[in-house]
Amino acid sequence: MIWVSWRRQRAQLLTLLGLLVVGAGVITLLRSSMIDSLTSAGLTGCVSVPLDQCTAPAAAAKSFAEAWANPLDIARMSILFGPALIGVFIGAPLFARELEQGTHVLAFTQSVSRTRWMVSKLVMALVPALVVLAVLQSMVSWWLSAAGTLGPLMNGPFTALNFSIGHVSPAGYALFAFALGTFIGVMSRRTLVAMTAGLGAFVVVRFALAGLVDRLVPAQRVEVSPDKELTVYTDGSLVLDHGYLDAAGQPVAQDKVNALTAACKSVPQGSGTAESQQEFLACLPKSGLAKRYADFIPESQAWQVHLVDAAIFGALAVLLLAGTTWALRRQS
Amino acid sequence: MNLRRHPDQAPPVIAEGLGKKYRRGWALRETSLVIPSNRVVALVGPNGAGKSTLMGLITGLLSPTTGRISVFGDRPTGKGLHPAVSYLAQQKPLYPQFTVTETLTFGARTNPTWDQGYAEYLVGQAQVPMNARVGTLSGGQRTRVALALALGKRPGLLLLDEPLADLDPLAREAVLRALMIEARTQGITVVLSSHVLAELEGVCDHLVLLHGGRILLAGDVDRLSPNGTPLGELVLNRMRQAALEEAA
Repeated sequence: MIWVSWRRQRAQLLTLLGLLVVGAGVITLLRSSMIDSLTSAGLTGCVSVPLDQCTAPAAAAKSFAEAWANPLDIARMSILFGPALIGVFIGAPLFARELEQGTHVLAFTQSVSRTRWMVSKLVMALVPALVVLAVLQSMVSWWLSAAGTLGPLMNGPFTALNFSIGHVSPAGYALFAFALGTFIGVMSRRTLVAMTAGLGAFVVVRFALAGLVDRLVPAQRVEVSPDKELTVYTDGSLVLDHGYLDAAGQPVAQDKVNALTAACKSVPQGSGTAESQQEFLACLPKSGLAKRYADFIPESQAWQVHLVDAAIFGALAVLLLAGTTWALRRQS
Repeated sequence: MNLRRHPDQAPPVIAEGLGKKYRRGWALRETSLVIPSNRVVALVGPNGAGKSTLMGLITGLLSPTTGRISVFGDRPTGKGLHPAVSYLAQQKPLYPQFTVTETLTFGARTNPTWDQGYAEYLVGQAQVPMNARVGTLSGGQRTRVALALALGKRPGLLLLDEPLADLDPLAREAVLRALMIEARTQGITVVLSSHVLAELEGVCDHLVLLHGGRILLAGDVDRLSPNGTPLGELVLNRMRQAALEEAA
């Protein structure tokens, strides 16, 4: 049965192999060319430090970022769209095409159980696709890390795009997109319907669940007095909530905060000077805004968020695959 | 389950009160039928009489709404066809991008009772090139390959749904002749469905006449017409009679 599935999906597997070879080659070439331009611009030292500690001239860093923003974005996009493409071109037609052309009857009337037929098809389609996606994902992140803080990674792992292409998240999305495509394909028995409806449903679910995962990982709270800066905004952390605390440590409602800060701003007459700024900051604790706080997930815990994210999409995928199995095993 | 190993001991098909209802209505009602072994059975009836439904129930692709069916003593479950049964659907589904050789390999990989030499012999008899893609074959050649795939698993019961429908007269004759030679020499029970009795009249020795989801006639040909009445006339008379009964 493995041979049958391999032969049925040979063209698709060769296409995947081609994508892998071409993708890996292009990434390797572009990465080494990028490292050359880093070296020639004297920016090598700036890759691993925050931008403001970079000793090279700012113009060089800026022109480097401008020159490489597009290629790096295209690489990130290709990993972002990878799961959707797997769902549309591999998941959706897998069973829909057989049901549409009637060739499932050929498989169902040999001495092989439907479950074995289904599992061998699923494995032969899904595993190579996931491997190719994972390899390309790690190659893109290898390239991104070479650009370091001069590239997209300076915004931390929690920006929508960086998060979507990091750690196990792409694998979770790909599993979900694939399972969604097969399920709609089995239910609709139409390839085109499965491809389009599957893509639409995938995009909707991705957007709908985008913020959910942040609330499922316990956040940390940092509290500072109003005259101190909160570092969580610049160190790549994901800030979920922020505001002021009163002297008792209770959060102050946002409209009250607005009224109090406005009152403090109106006290000094000559605003804009350093002294008025200090007066303003000193005024805040006296009016009842004792501390600033932020609830955040630090960069070092991004992997936990990724695991929860992949678990959510993985669980949805398992449900959909169970539905596919039920629909295929059912005698009409 | 012992019967699986000895398909000769139980009749190929026993149906008791078998019925199938689709959303649009009954396709087969209260059918009781025994298909004995070593027969060439003509399953005849007008379009929509329930021929394909009956075949679907025998293969297990469909599940019965009422009654029971057993195939060589086993109930068809839909979890893969009984090893002693081969089925060729009306559309003759084959993977068009497979070559003939690969199609036979498909049969070998999905059937424990596969006989590769026999399947190759059948394709050779039909003079179909082994390395041609199935999608490029003519209708007659496709049918011969599909038949080789069905016979290669060495079935005791071969179900053919309208096997001659899309063939030209010469191909029809060739397919039917090849089929009869194999059925007689291998001792296979063959069930052929058609809405044209004439094309099966000379070859069948058992007749099942379906009309409106019911069996009008079933039995060995020499018992149905002991005085040598042509089958066509017999069938036509029975169907006229049924139409009169319906009108009454």
